[in-house]
Amino acid sequence: MTKEELTEYIKDNFSGEPEVIENDQPEPYFIVKAEDVVAFSRFIHDDPKLQMTFMMSLSGVDTGERYEIVYNICSYRLKHRVFFKTILNHEKPEVDTVLDIWPAANWYEREVWELFGITIRNHPNLTRFLLPEDWDEGFPMCKGWVGKDVIPFPERK
Amino acid sequence: MAERLRTEEMIMNMGPQHPATHGVCRLILTIDGEVINDCVPVIGYLHRAIEKICENRTYAQCIPLLDRFEYVTSMSCNWAFALAAEKLTDLEIPERAEYLRVIMAELNRIASHLLCIGVTAMDLGALTPFLYTFREREFILDLFEMTCGQRLTYNYIWVGGVSKDIPPEFIPKCREFLDIIDEKCDDYEKILTKNPIWLVRNKGIGIIPEKMVHDYAISGPSARASGVNFDIRKHDSYGVYDRFDFDVPVFFGCDCYDRYRARMAEMRQSARIIRQALDQMSDGPVRAKVTMNFKPKPGEVYSRIENSRGEMGIYLVSDGTKKPFRMRARGGSYNHLMAIPEITRGLKIADLVALFASLDIILPEIDR
Repeated sequence: MTKEELTEYIKDNFSGEPEVIENDQPEPYFIVKAEDVVAFSRFIHDDPKLQMTFMMSLSGVDTGERYEIVYNICSYRLKHRVFFKTILNHEKPEVDTVLDIWPAANWYEREVWELFGITIRNHPNLTRFLLPEDWDEGFPMCKGWVGKDVIPFPERK
Repeated sequence: MAERLRTEEMIMNMGPQHPATHGVCRLILTIDGEVINDCVPVIGYLHRAIEKICENRTYAQCIPLLDRFEYVTSMSCNWAFALAAEKLTDLEIPERAEYLRVIMAELNRIASHLLCIGVTAMDLGALTPFLYTFREREFILDLFEMTCGQRLTYNYIWVGGVSKDIPPEFIPKCREFLDIIDEKCDDYEKILTKNPIWLVRNKGIGIIPEKMVHDYAISGPSARASGVNFDIRKHDSYGVYDRFDFDVPVFFGCDCYDRYRARMAEMRQSARIIRQALDQMSDGPVRAKVTMNFKPKPGEVYSRIENSRGEMGIYLVSDGTKKPFRMRARGGSYNHLMAIPEITRGLKIADLVALFASLDIILPEIDR
């Protein structure tokens, strides 16, 4: 399916209301509400016309005002891909795990929890793994984070 | 008699400094005699925070960091980042640069597979194939040294092209290499493919069924050895890969042996691509006009390329300044190591070494 057909198909057949973002990238782009993430994931994973079984990447982003979690999913059989994200506020960043749908999300979600401080509900094993076990300097991937012994890199003229 | 023997589980550490873990990785094994009941990988020993550092560097300064992301195939890592930045910049890449990128990435793929096969053989107790594969790998590293002065971290593929043109003696030397590589592959196959010890250690070991490939997002040769016909170069083409005629070797054994065969077949295909690229390449500039502190337009992009160990993806967010707002690198080994606890259940410790080597896991890519 082309990008337009894919966008139409997902919009028509998914019961929630994902917001479509137009851009010049080869894959469709959606913004999904945090409470819809699991339902949306289940839909694109199980639908016989989509079969998005391959999780390419899951990344957290801190824009300064809000958190975003970006899911990049592709289909091995049908060779198309989709890009969707969910937006979380700074006060209570919480999202449900998609571990049951894509087991590959396991470490990606742990990383998002560890480096951004976003709570992943129902994740069975949220423990430190990239940072030292006695780490107490907050969430290093957040914007504006400064560590105890960070030396700023000289600006290029 | 046997059922009356009482056995007890034992916890054993494999690593962090274990030669078979190809880096610094610790595996906490719960074993019952020789059989592994559970395996917990502990990572983070090599964490260098590349993603965070990139947020404080300009795009041109990020490229050498990406070299360190995965030092065995740095050319592909450079390329993945350059591709992502170019998608946000609308740059016209000169045709010669595109061909040079293909040649370098494919040479690097051969070098990486040679390393993988040699090291797998060494982990399983055969030292000779390692010496042979490194002899040919040396040839490729000489070619890279000739091109950009480096043997491991190249900083060669830049945003907008490549850093410099190849010297005139590169092409004859490269053709010389292509003339021998098929023959050398036959030699390795003579040593390994029908070797009884190799067969016993690899055949039927570390089965990854197709469903697990999908679930754990296993990619690259390891996925193609489990019957998944997917190659980003073919099915989501980038660069000038659509101009070449090459096959995607797919095997259905799902075991360590077929992963070895997939790599072997891939090396021959890479040589085929380089031959066509050398024939089609014409003269011209190798770098688009782009300043050191260029500013891409705001936006976000996920670009991916076929690395020698699987999908290499870069998710890049730009806010219109000269530095990336967020950079996220995804490497194939990350998912492969994630799947290891599931694959190893019931395997013997010695088979874990074969499995680890056949998946070609490399730790800097996981820790970043």
